[in-house]
Amino acid sequence: MAKFYDMDDIITDEEVVSVVFEKAACGVGIDPSSETDSVEVGSKVELPFWLAHELQLRQAVSMNVPTCFNQKTRLEIQADSACVDLRSRCPFFYEFGCKIAPLVGVRTIGPLLLSAFKSRYKEVLTKAHTAAFPAASKHLTILTKEETNLYEAAQSSMTAFKRWRMGGPRFQRASVLGRKRKSTD
Amino acid sequence: MYGRKAFQLVKELASGEKGQLTPYNSDLFDQVTAECSQHHLELQSLIRKIQEEGLDVQTTRNSEHYGSLIHHLSLVRNKRCLMAYVYNRAEIIRSLIWKVGPVLPQEIQERLSHTEEEYFKRHSAALQSYMSRLDLDLTVDMVPPKDPYIQVRVLDDIGVVLSDDKTTNFARHSMHFLKRTDAEQFISRGLMEELTD
Repeated sequence: MAKFYDMDDIITDEEVVSVVFEKAACGVGIDPSSETDSVEVGSKVELPFWLAHELQLRQAVSMNVPTCFNQKTRLEIQADSACVDLRSRCPFFYEFGCKIAPLVGVRTIGPLLLSAFKSRYKEVLTKAHTAAFPAASKHLTILTKEETNLYEAAQSSMTAFKRWRMGGPRFQRASVLGRKRKSTD
Repeated sequence: MYGRKAFQLVKELASGEKGQLTPYNSDLFDQVTAECSQHHLELQSLIRKIQEEGLDVQTTRNSEHYGSLIHHLSLVRNKRCLMAYVYNRAEIIRSLIWKVGPVLPQEIQERLSHTEEEYFKRHSAALQSYMSRLDLDLTVDMVPPKDPYIQVRVLDDIGVVLSDDKTTNFARHSMHFLKRTDAEQFISRGLMEELTD
């Protein structure tokens, strides 16, 4: 629970997952298609991840692969990962992917995340170091939150570097070093 | 959906600019606590039902058990969201002392709840008493200065101020060459600006 107060983690946990109930539950209003306030076995319900996760651990539900990791997204990422709008799919694509991968039993999520991150990271760094502000804003809208943080970090380190380079030498040469030394032999 | 309101509360704070406070949303906060008590009531009634059927609450795994489990998880989730909301705001409030000083401007003050104001006051009092014991003002010079003296322009009529050994008249638009430590408190309150060449 190291991230108990982490707001990003809380937002990640709110991502919707579709689950199938394997045990009935009564007295709860989470299934909008049901007329009574109970959930039958086999009914398909969209639940936030925090609830789906805990219920899955107790074998009450089985989780399906969320839409942001489905075949369509996968093909798009394979085609040209740098241009895929991941933010609208899931603002914390990588964090959420890491959470969901061990739970749904699909082995391809891990490699998908890795390959997507590798190629997009390259793009993020190049853009952060070269692009001027107005040109970059369009590119920014498709980045996930994690990538935006990296982008900002890269940009601030670049401005810090430029400032350092313009600022001239910070260290003065000690006068004694400039003098020629006598040979000691 | 359960926990949606609590999530909105956190999202509202997270979507604000980093290190800046959004207005305290007491309305939504109260709605979430009301939702919590509702969960608590339903949880209790479900557990009572299990007991009435003569089953052991610890081991029964019927539909009532899973219903109460969902209520319990929603309660825990709501609690986490509320705690995160309060905790992260408190963190920003503490950082305000270092950024704006012990007197908050009106527009920030309006965004705090009553208890948060109290927290800020007590926190700054604690810091003040620590600093007076050290005999050192820790809130100035957050960035090491290159020169102990700076050139400033007065932006607002401050009047005559006594500093160290002499009195100075800080009239509006006048320029002064001051010790950085003396000028810093006025700069952080927006009454002076530093002239850089």
